Amino acid sequence: MRILVAEDDAISRALLERTLQRAGYEVISVENGTQAVAELIKQDAPRLALLDWIMPEMDGVEVCREIRCRKKQVYTYLILLSSRESKEDIVAGLESGADDYLTKPFDTDELKARLRTGHRILELEDHLVEARESMRFQATHDLLTSLWNRGVIVELMSNEIMRSRRERSCTAVMMCDIDHFKSVNDQHGHAVGDEVLREVARRLHNSVRSYDMVGRYGGEEFLVALNKCNPGSAVARAENLREKIAGLPIQTAKQPVSVTISIGLALSTEYTKCTIEEIMHHADMALYEAKAAGRNCVRVAQPAAGAKPVEEQPEKTQVLTP
Amino acid sequence: MAQERKQTKEAAAAEQPREMEWDLKELMERLGGDEGFLRELLLMFPDDVRMNLEKSRKAIGTGDYEGLSRTAHTMKGMLRNLSMRAAETAAALEKASQENQQEDSRDLLEKLVKELDGILPEVEAQLAGVKP
Repeated sequence: MRILVAEDDAISRALLERTLQRAGYEVISVENGTQAVAELIKQDAPRLALLDWIMPEMDGVEVCREIRCRKKQVYTYLILLSSRESKEDIVAGLESGADDYLTKPFDTDELKARLRTGHRILELEDHLVEARESMRFQATHDLLTSLWNRGVIVELMSNEIMRSRRERSCTAVMMCDIDHFKSVNDQHGHAVGDEVLREVARRLHNSVRSYDMVGRYGGEEFLVALNKCNPGSAVARAENLREKIAGLPIQTAKQPVSVTISIGLALSTEYTKCTIEEIMHHADMALYEAKAAGRNCVRVAQPAAGAKPVEEQPEKTQVLTP
Repeated sequence: MAQERKQTKEAAAAEQPREMEWDLKELMERLGGDEGFLRELLLMFPDDVRMNLEKSRKAIGTGDYEGLSRTAHTMKGMLRNLSMRAAETAAALEKASQENQQEDSRDLLEKLVKELDGILPEVEAQLAGVKP
């Protein structure tokens, strides 16, 4: 583990460095408080620091205060080194944000023990951050496919549509549904069904730009939102997604499985007065029409009438029969 | 010359029961018995002392008692780390300068200079390989 040592006197610094190196630390040492702050705010900075209380330019207490008010993402465990006369300052030191203090000249075993306490605190923090991140992921993502879950994709898409209205751009909303998915489960079992869902999710996710959004809307239904989409090319992009699924069988643990998807497409520019729910409903209706038209195709929602067939019907791949 | 150093060392050793100016045994314990490292530290000692005493004289000359107390503090820590008794004079100097006691500060700085002058030959003897 790396540790920062801030001490202005060369001999005291060398002594600290050597003691810490012997205890297995990688030591970064500086001569004053300003340098200490510069080291501690770096990306990948050491997370343990031993700071002399009295230093030129900026003292240890000021360093603690500075580091704490920056509210860094990761915690830095700060230990102040004080001389034995200044006990009355201890409270001030700890209030500045120091975690602990040591009296000089330090006892090597005590120093090591105090550093172990620091390790424990940092490990505890790591566990908490990890747990928080994992919970945040679980709360926003679909467990099986790791795509955004329904709640989040709808919210993200709503925000995006609101923004596209302000900026007079277009968001393309696509409801994608795997054709005859029930028969995949029936024929190959649910484990293969899960593999198919994961692979379809992966292909959809990899086929859009980083600022587009893909989420799992329901069982075998996916919601894709293409942001700042040129309305004229929306259909071609939907076709591209359809082709990405139909074009190549999915390799599962058992055998390759061919699936296709049907897509209902709605452009936000066609529904400037509609609510988000209404736009999604229109995309859904277009999806129904795609299903009715024989599946493995794209239908575009029309504000006034029903869904419009895509002008050039693509060659359909073999539809999986139940 | 080595003879001379040895005598100094012996004289200091003779005084040990009364006042131990430099507790080398304690220092070696702190260094985990690493003689090479002891040598490294002691090689830094004369320059460290010279630089800090210079700073102190300059501070006292310009009436900068805050600067003087800071330098005295640094020396106190360094001397304690080396288990040298002069640390206590540095501590007194730090206190006196904090309290702006000009006369005391002056006297204590002189006392510290004398004590350090006394210890330098011991450090040199140690560096020359004369075992205590």
